Amino acid sequence: MVQAEGMAGRRNRGRSVAAGVVTTIAVGLGLLVSTGAAGAQPQLPPIAPEELVRSVLSAPNPGPFNGTVELQNGLGLPALPELPQAGNGTSTARIWSGGEDRGRVALPTDSGERTLVSDGTTFWAWNSADRTVVRRPIDQAARQEDRPADPTAAATRAIEQLRATSTVAVDGTAEVAGRDAYELVLTPAPTERTLLREVRVAVDAEKRMPLRLTVLSTGSPDPALRVGFTELTFGPQDPALFTFTPPPGATVTDAPARGPQEGPERTTVGDGWDRVVIARRPADATTTPSPDAPDLSSVGSPVSGPWGSGRLITSTVGTAIVTDDGRLAAGAVPEQVVTEALSR
Amino acid sequence: MTALDTGVPKAAPFTRLLAAEVRWVLRRPRTLVMLGLFALIPVLIAIGVRVADRQAGPGRGLIGAVAGNGLVLPVAAMTVALGLLLPLAVAMAAADAIAGEAAAGTLRGLLLAPVGRLRLVVVKASGVLVVAAAAVLALAVVGVLAGLLVVGGPPGQLVTLSGSTIGTTEALGRVTLVALWTVGQLAAVGAVALAVSAFTEHPLVVLAAVLGGLIIFGVLGAIPALDWLQPVLLTSGWTAGVDALRDPMPLDGLADATLRALWYLAAGAAVVVLRMLRRDA
Repeated sequence: MVQAEGMAGRRNRGRSVAAGVVTTIAVGLGLLVSTGAAGAQPQLPPIAPEELVRSVLSAPNPGPFNGTVELQNGLGLPALPELPQAGNGTSTARIWSGGEDRGRVALPTDSGERTLVSDGTTFWAWNSADRTVVRRPIDQAARQEDRPADPTAAATRAIEQLRATSTVAVDGTAEVAGRDAYELVLTPAPTERTLLREVRVAVDAEKRMPLRLTVLSTGSPDPALRVGFTELTFGPQDPALFTFTPPPGATVTDAPARGPQEGPERTTVGDGWDRVVIARRPADATTTPSPDAPDLSSVGSPVSGPWGSGRLITSTVGTAIVTDDGRLAAGAVPEQVVTEALSR
Repeated sequence: MTALDTGVPKAAPFTRLLAAEVRWVLRRPRTLVMLGLFALIPVLIAIGVRVADRQAGPGRGLIGAVAGNGLVLPVAAMTVALGLLLPLAVAMAAADAIAGEAAAGTLRGLLLAPVGRLRLVVVKASGVLVVAAAAVLALAVVGVLAGLLVVGGPPGQLVTLSGSTIGTTEALGRVTLVALWTVGQLAAVGAVALAVSAFTEHPLVVLAAVLGGLIIFGVLGAIPALDWLQPVLLTSGWTAGVDALRDPMPLDGLADATLRALWYLAAGAAVVVLRMLRRDA
């Protein structure tokens, strides 16, 4: 009798365990399904790739918006202490744009945040880790010069340049951050000596604003870099977002305005996808590196050749060599192309 | 003849059962000691931050953000404790609630008593929730007091991680929100712990299961190749409390974590109820 009761109890418990396991599996599946919704391909009127590029380059300002941008980084670079976003992984940023050079970017980390605010005349950079604020006046004149006088003509010129070295195509549609978008695909011509296989840009069908950029490199099916909106809402923004008052206890430093002519002198070797940019650090800057440039002295492996010696930094999409005599050569190319450019 | 004389005992009112359970849970010396220890956490952090602050500037990380910014302390204390200590407290309460009674032989009496099994589960779950809420309340209240009195900060203000300042009222509102959210996460832990508790007579098994589960979740969450598991792991949203210190406050992280906790709560509750309804006295 006691034994029979025990058997019944055990069977009962077994049934409960089975019910529990079934419930848990059902809940687990529910969790997976509820979080992983696949994006549909919206139906949009067909468009010629040239027309799409032209409309993007000459599109008017999309107006105020806010959104969340996600960066999926597979570049294979080491994470720098000042810039954890450089390392492989996913990071997000919250973005607000008020139009007219006003904007706010929040780069959150697990226990801190960097906030960048532009109020139209001053640029503020806040770092919660050490409670510092860097303040820099915005050079309005330089900003105006950057804008082409005739957007349509500039767009036509840009397309001609693209055509010489790449294939431009529209590869269907996509849904990005809940908005309909065209997928513009740039593929390097076979003669280009580049590490890149394809660059995809999702363009908003209505506002003609790029919503997502995907960079694919040779030899990897996964994107080397994918940056795009995961949330995007157009509409007026709270003006308070575009002001910044240094909080009590913060250290404020002033940075000089960045003029258009300042910065290292640059030369380019080659054109199109296998272009290599060579920059020479100004002589006075070799001793005191710029405070907002990340320290690269510990990155890369030593390399030498007929051009001299330096450190080689490789990633899935590009190669850079920092020479010991203060030159920096970089491009979306294999190491050989960079050393050739340096030897020239 | 009245109904009382038929020999069928009349069911006790639900509120009386509930009050009895809560009184029983809160009067246990181990619960009181535990609550005292939780109240000590913010005080210790406050003293540590104060001492470190005198030697050097603000440190890194969330604790570093407390320096000279006292109202951050309750949020930091709750976030730090949510990692291991608060789930441990909840697991302890859940272990006592069913497995502990089974071990002491008193569960049989409860199961035979004229109280519905469902009511019994609700009463037991409420006891666990009360412990969770009391522990979080201790952290939050002592955190605010220690933050204001020991750490200090800009008068009547909180400097957010985004570099803006918010007033005391809004800061206290955000602390309350984080406290409620934390209790919600702990309710999920408690439901799962009660589910384990319903299947064993050994309270230690419940503690081992919950702590082991937390450690396994932590390890799984730290492996980059298992990124796709993140939305399923209860612990992966547990840093979202820090979002309350950002301005404007993002609600996505807190909402996602709450949704995830609801799934765990539903699963745990379903298992407890099924097991207790079918359990032999």
